Amino acid sequence: MTAGSWLCLLAPLGGTILITLLGTRISRVAAAWIATTSVFVGFGGAVWAFAAMLSRQPESRSEITTAWTWLQSGSFKVGLELLVDPLSVVMMLIVSGVGGLIVLYSIGYMDGDDEERRYFAYISFFVFSMLLLVEGGNLLMLLVGWGLVGLSSYLLIGFWHDRPSAVQAAKKAFIMNAFGDATMALAFFILIAHTNSLSFATDFNAHLSSSAANFVALGLLGGAVAKSAQIPLQTWLPDAMEGPTPVSALIHAATMVTAGVYLIARTYPLFEQARTIELLAAGTGALTLLVAGLIALVQTDIKKVIAYSTMSQIGYMFLGAGVGAYSSGMFHLMTHAFFKALLFMTAGLIIHAVANEQDIRKLRGIGQLMPFTKWCFLAGALALVGIPPFSGFFSKDPIISSAAALGTWYGWIFWVCGVAGAFLTGLYTFRLWFLLFPGEPTPFVREHYHDHHGREGAWTMLVPVGILAVLATFAGWLQWTPRWDPFTKWLEPAAPTLAAAIPTNTQEYYTSAAAVIAGLVGIGLAWVIYSEQRIAIPAAPFWRRLFENKFYFDWLYDRIFYEPAVATANFLRRDFEDPVILQTGPDLGEATIETGGLVRRLQTGLLRTYVFFIAAGAAAVVLAFLIAR
Amino acid sequence: MLGPGVAWYIAVAAFLFGIGALGVLIRRNTLVVLLSLELMLNAGNLALIAFSRHFHNGAGQIFALAVMAIAASEVCVGLGLVVALNRKQLSLDVDKLSELRG
Repeated sequence: MTAGSWLCLLAPLGGTILITLLGTRISRVAAAWIATTSVFVGFGGAVWAFAAMLSRQPESRSEITTAWTWLQSGSFKVGLELLVDPLSVVMMLIVSGVGGLIVLYSIGYMDGDDEERRYFAYISFFVFSMLLLVEGGNLLMLLVGWGLVGLSSYLLIGFWHDRPSAVQAAKKAFIMNAFGDATMALAFFILIAHTNSLSFATDFNAHLSSSAANFVALGLLGGAVAKSAQIPLQTWLPDAMEGPTPVSALIHAATMVTAGVYLIARTYPLFEQARTIELLAAGTGALTLLVAGLIALVQTDIKKVIAYSTMSQIGYMFLGAGVGAYSSGMFHLMTHAFFKALLFMTAGLIIHAVANEQDIRKLRGIGQLMPFTKWCFLAGALALVGIPPFSGFFSKDPIISSAAALGTWYGWIFWVCGVAGAFLTGLYTFRLWFLLFPGEPTPFVREHYHDHHGREGAWTMLVPVGILAVLATFAGWLQWTPRWDPFTKWLEPAAPTLAAAIPTNTQEYYTSAAAVIAGLVGIGLAWVIYSEQRIAIPAAPFWRRLFENKFYFDWLYDRIFYEPAVATANFLRRDFEDPVILQTGPDLGEATIETGGLVRRLQTGLLRTYVFFIAAGAAAVVLAFLIAR
Repeated sequence: MLGPGVAWYIAVAAFLFGIGALGVLIRRNTLVVLLSLELMLNAGNLALIAFSRHFHNGAGQIFALAVMAIAASEVCVGLGLVVALNRKQLSLDVDKLSELRG
């Protein structure tokens, strides 16, 4: 079991090192296949660990394996250790499995790029970092993985480094994530101070006062919110779409951005100790899912629509994990990884086929030329909206019904947000669908569309899309909480659902009905507005402006942080750096020269004057002694 | 004790020192300046010996011997410089050797 987890972790790292060391001695295709193979070997390791775990009793499925002691300071000790338990195995399977498919897809997508080798080294490094994050056996290892995924995300967003916008987006992502990393590190300091340990094996709550627990949970939540692009640290995610599309699919949809949900599930005892903060996480999720859904309605870039949809879906996961339904949140994380990666990859197929055009207004009618892409996208879209029997239905509805199970006033607010979110999801997803696929292709599409040897893309791109379409359709059948729940049972030892958040079957049924009806209404409205065009798009200039400016978050942050910082920097340069720092050196020199000029005349070069000064000085000294006697 | 008192010796020594100092200050010939320096040193020696005799203490005489040794060395260096200046066909006028003027 532990051998599988080490193999899973180290195989992608080996791939990175191999590609880096071999450099230009191997062909670009070879580098691509090294990366793909290494990630699939990692997937093999994950399956190995999973199989070994299946054969054990549920109580003994958690094991910590330590390579060596990494840090030691007095009695505080951190080992280089991995935790293998049902939760981390699920994440390992998702990360390496979906990761492997996306790296395979990249072979076709990145074909012909000048710096392909660098791309593949980065992406297998990302998979390694993400695996380190989910497998780390203590919070410090988790933080190392957390930082490394931030780094690889930065590197991959800015992969096309000759585009200024990509470089800007990469910096933005890094800085906003660094904020979360800092709050997490602060939480760890509090933990170390109170419990002298960061290992997951420790019962943290025994040593924490309630205010300390609140601070720790708040710090962890800050990290989760930044990494998972939730309000108020969400603005980096849409910009991150500057990276290559497979990167968006892997990092900014399927794995890294969902790490926040994993963190909450992993440290659930801390969050349950600080229930207010946990509910704050749920509230953040509920708010984000609505705000992101609304913004997605007016986006015109195909990738941005899907990016906002990602934010919105992670909002659902936060809602689930926040109310205490960790397994529902994790289940939605898994199905979301499938259908959102699928949506991004179909978008990538389109972008790849029409010369990198991403504006949906120009791409109308592409479905006629790309039928495979069209049907795969439809599977992903239906899964996203949560229409049965597609996977989103099975994973999203339990989250909303858990909110109902709380039974409190905020539970009902969350419930309403969730159902309203389902309506928005239907509306924006099928707006995308009706704008892109049905109908006659536009002249732009006819002119720019080029197929790949008679197919819609290279086989390396089509095969992963096909596999994910199957998973997006059927993966949800794994669990339908009112009837069978193997996934929840599997996670029971690692993250048991809070008793208050277990819905009754009645709650499940009426929530599902409400959510599906809301989704269908959204789809219907999208059909009426964007396909039939029977209703004009409501003008509502205020709301449109609000959505198009993304609720003015970027504007606000520019005003609050960026502009004052620039103004201060300019002020300091103008009034301090230039006059004080830069001018001091020359001033000092000039003053020295001037003073030197004054005493220069004493140096006559005449021996007699020197002798005179010596004699006069000696006489003066003698005189002084005589007087002072 | 035979001979004049210590005050006389000191007076002579002061007189000699004054001549030497004036010579250094006024004369421009390098050789004469060196000569005047010797005069000043010997004035000092005279004072040392006079006090040595007055206080019945041999230390002053020892010190005078040391001064003579130093004076000899100094003259060696000084005369060496004069020879070097002459070889370079430079003036021996100290007022003209003023290249270090600021």
